[in-house]
Amino acid sequence: MEAIAAIHAARPAAQPARRSPTAESPFVRWLLIGSALVFLSLFLVVPLLAVFVQAFAKGPGFYLKTLTDPATLSAIKLTFLTIGIAVPMNCIFGLAAAWAITKFDFPGKNILTTLIDLPFSVSPVISGLVYVLVFGAQGWFGPWLVAHNIRVIFAVPGIVLATTFVTFPFVARELIPLMQAQGRADEEAARVLGSGGWQTFWRVTLPNIKWGLLYGVTLCNARAMGEFGAVSVVSGHISGGTDALGTNTIPLHVQSLYDNYNQTGAFAEASVLTFLALVTIALKAWIERKEARLKL
Amino acid sequence: MLRLRQRGVLPGFRLTLGYALLYLSIIVLIPLAATFAKAGELSPLRFWHDITTPRVLAAFRLSFGAAFLAALINLFFGLLVAWVLARYQFWSKRIMDALVDLPFALPTAVAGITLATLYAQNGWIGRWLAPLGIKVAYTQLGVFVALMFIGLPFVVRTVQPVLEDLDLEVEEAAASLGANRWQTFWRVIFPAARPALLTGFALAFARGVGEYGSVIFISSNLPGKTEIVPLLIVTKLEQFDYPGATAIAVVMLVASFALLLLINLLQWRSSRYYART
Amino acid sequence: MSVEVRNIIKQFGRFPALHGVSLKVESGELVALLGPSGSGKTTLLRIIAGLEFPDTGEGRVLFYGEDVTDMPVHKRRAGFAFQHYALFRHLDVFENIAFGLRIRSHRTRPRESEIRESVEKLLKLVQLESLAKRFPSQLSGGQRQRVALARALAIEPKVLLLDEPFGALDAKVRKELRHWLRQLHEEIHVTTLFVTHDQEEALEVADRVAILREGRIEQIGTPEEIYDYPATPFVYDFLGNVNAFAGRVHDGSVEIGESKFAAPETVGRGDTDAIAFVRPHDIHVTRRPGGPAKLAARVVLCHAAGPLAHLELERLDNGGRFTVELSKEQLHQLAPKPGERMFVELRNVKIFPEDYSI
Repeated sequence: MEAIAAIHAARPAAQPARRSPTAESPFVRWLLIGSALVFLSLFLVVPLLAVFVQAFAKGPGFYLKTLTDPATLSAIKLTFLTIGIAVPMNCIFGLAAAWAITKFDFPGKNILTTLIDLPFSVSPVISGLVYVLVFGAQGWFGPWLVAHNIRVIFAVPGIVLATTFVTFPFVARELIPLMQAQGRADEEAARVLGSGGWQTFWRVTLPNIKWGLLYGVTLCNARAMGEFGAVSVVSGHISGGTDALGTNTIPLHVQSLYDNYNQTGAFAEASVLTFLALVTIALKAWIERKEARLKL
Repeated sequence: MLRLRQRGVLPGFRLTLGYALLYLSIIVLIPLAATFAKAGELSPLRFWHDITTPRVLAAFRLSFGAAFLAALINLFFGLLVAWVLARYQFWSKRIMDALVDLPFALPTAVAGITLATLYAQNGWIGRWLAPLGIKVAYTQLGVFVALMFIGLPFVVRTVQPVLEDLDLEVEEAAASLGANRWQTFWRVIFPAARPALLTGFALAFARGVGEYGSVIFISSNLPGKTEIVPLLIVTKLEQFDYPGATAIAVVMLVASFALLLLINLLQWRSSRYYART
Repeated sequence: MSVEVRNIIKQFGRFPALHGVSLKVESGELVALLGPSGSGKTTLLRIIAGLEFPDTGEGRVLFYGEDVTDMPVHKRRAGFAFQHYALFRHLDVFENIAFGLRIRSHRTRPRESEIRESVEKLLKLVQLESLAKRFPSQLSGGQRQRVALARALAIEPKVLLLDEPFGALDAKVRKELRHWLRQLHEEIHVTTLFVTHDQEEALEVADRVAILREGRIEQIGTPEEIYDYPATPFVYDFLGNVNAFAGRVHDGSVEIGESKFAAPETVGRGDTDAIAFVRPHDIHVTRRPGGPAKLAARVVLCHAAGPLAHLELERLDNGGRFTVELSKEQLHQLAPKPGERMFVELRNVKIFPEDYSI
């Protein structure tokens, strides 16, 4: 039956009347391909091009000036600070949760998996709101924080928390199906051979999941850098400068530039995030091809 | 109380589960609980009033309506794109296949300003639609377009693997029984893809309802006309109407959870459907 | 109402699958296409169905004398059953069977009541009446294959084509369904072609068997014909176990070692080296030399497996090994011990000239 697949892939020039029973007429085929390409070009390619064209609309000089502007640099610094905390924390959580869920059986496992998905299904604005309700001036811990002169909301800690919430599931969602599919046999074999807990994890589990982990971390990172709605709610929207960090991450700064009619500047900064998105996509495609080859 | 008994041969159960639950509680569960608690502080009458003012209702109508419509249209285009990617070979296929993830990977603010610029009256796309009398930017149509943009990958990526895994023999069987290509598609292939289409629809809809960044730039954000629910929440927060914002947020949360459950249910059912005995 | 193929040639890239195969199946006949994997039997079946096309040339497929070589599959009315059933998972058993009737164009589509009648009749025929509302995932392998057959029969096909229909089932179910298929054929007499690699199945079920090897038909005949009068060593070996004895043909008899066996069919062939083929159960073993038992051999090992026993022996003259099949009773009577010297008589010897190879 392998030959069947081969001929469906490499059909020699057949007489007009003879068409494989599972193929459409060439006319239908090209009509569908054409429509799909037109749609995708309009919806995906054009916006992608627009970002870069608009970014360089005032020339490369302006582009560089925007990116090296103190406000921009401050936004970049804040974004990196945020991901430097949120991503590793979510990564550790993802590993722990995936280990607990896939290597053991316990009641409520499904509920736990669903709970992990919660932030994914919540609107970003609400993700920010929930922290305002806990740490804001009128929140649960509000009075205590005010009394101790700690600012969470409208300050950096709030931004970090909101970003952590929003990117919470990414690493776990990537690892759980992967580790589920890989099973427990490898780790159990290592245990039988006398390997300790951490040893087993480092030497057996980690090499197996490294690509899935990489992709999960990349996704988490991309989303954390680009998060807008949640951060918008907890941020004070204050642009930083050479002396202060401010409370604008890169996406918020993009909005600030755009709203202040500096479209080109906004797109210049946006192009950095877009480039990161393209890297993420390319990485995903590469990993998928790698995994497909391994499966064969 | 959940007893964390050591289960199985592998180590680390208590450690990993304990940490995971702790982290989950701090980051997710407690803040969510706070929201419901705060909403609970409102009297039921006040709560009901806060979520049924004309402005709020208009926002609900727009957010849910546009998300529903966008997800619906995405069913058609998503199926088309998934079909073409799964079944045919053509130039630029690899790039197009990868690009389908762009709306998912791109930050919402970037998508927002890009779409707003493209569909403005003098934008690259907007200028072609203006002579036809079609205004996209700053209208409800703009909201719809933005939601279509971000919902597309959800439909395509859910349907594509199903189409790729289709058994060619089943199509051959249909043909041997006398079905022409259209009949085979409509009666055999489409029903097999229906569960995935439903799941994709639910995912796109859920995402569209709560979408913020992609929409607020292209929308004129006029209360009662082009104001989406997330923006309304933000506005209320800026006006320090915390109870109002919380009330609306609770409604959205309940809707999100219901959708999440529905999606999990659909995925569970379709995994049974595809299971081979 | 015959089905015929003429001179079918098919290549997959550089792999030649069929080398000019011709075959005619008479109306109402049940013909088996038998052969090892890669012999081209499934390819031939699929070409007849219209799921593949022969390479352009003189290759022709004819249904009832009409040339259908270029006709697309959905117009041919060739009922096809796949090895893995290919049932429609979203439809229940009833709808699966009714599929071919429901998709007919308005002009030829039967009324709902007629569809119901036909399907129920078919359900009765395949003995699955109680399962009409079940879905394929709720059926066993044997039940699924019966649904697949009913589905193919629903369109009143001109020819029924079965691709290793029982290949995915376990041995016991396979035997039951084999028997059931034969009975079904007796009842409905549709011209049928089925592909198998199981020689026992082919010999038990078919009216005629065509043995394929590397894209060519080695022999066609009734089960008795090809078993008793195999045309080539390949056929002989494929249809059962065989021992090969190197020897020489001389004067109308074959000399194997020091023993001579009558081989009247070799008269006139002159003196050549030859290979004599003997089935394991056609070899008689005794301790006493002389008489018909002429070849000397040493017992290597003895192995009882179920109702039969196998005795492996080594020729004393050239060390060639061969296997003898005995019934349990014969084994107890003989009571051979390893290393013991025995004398064998070869019956029913078939000679093929040396240049043949299995």
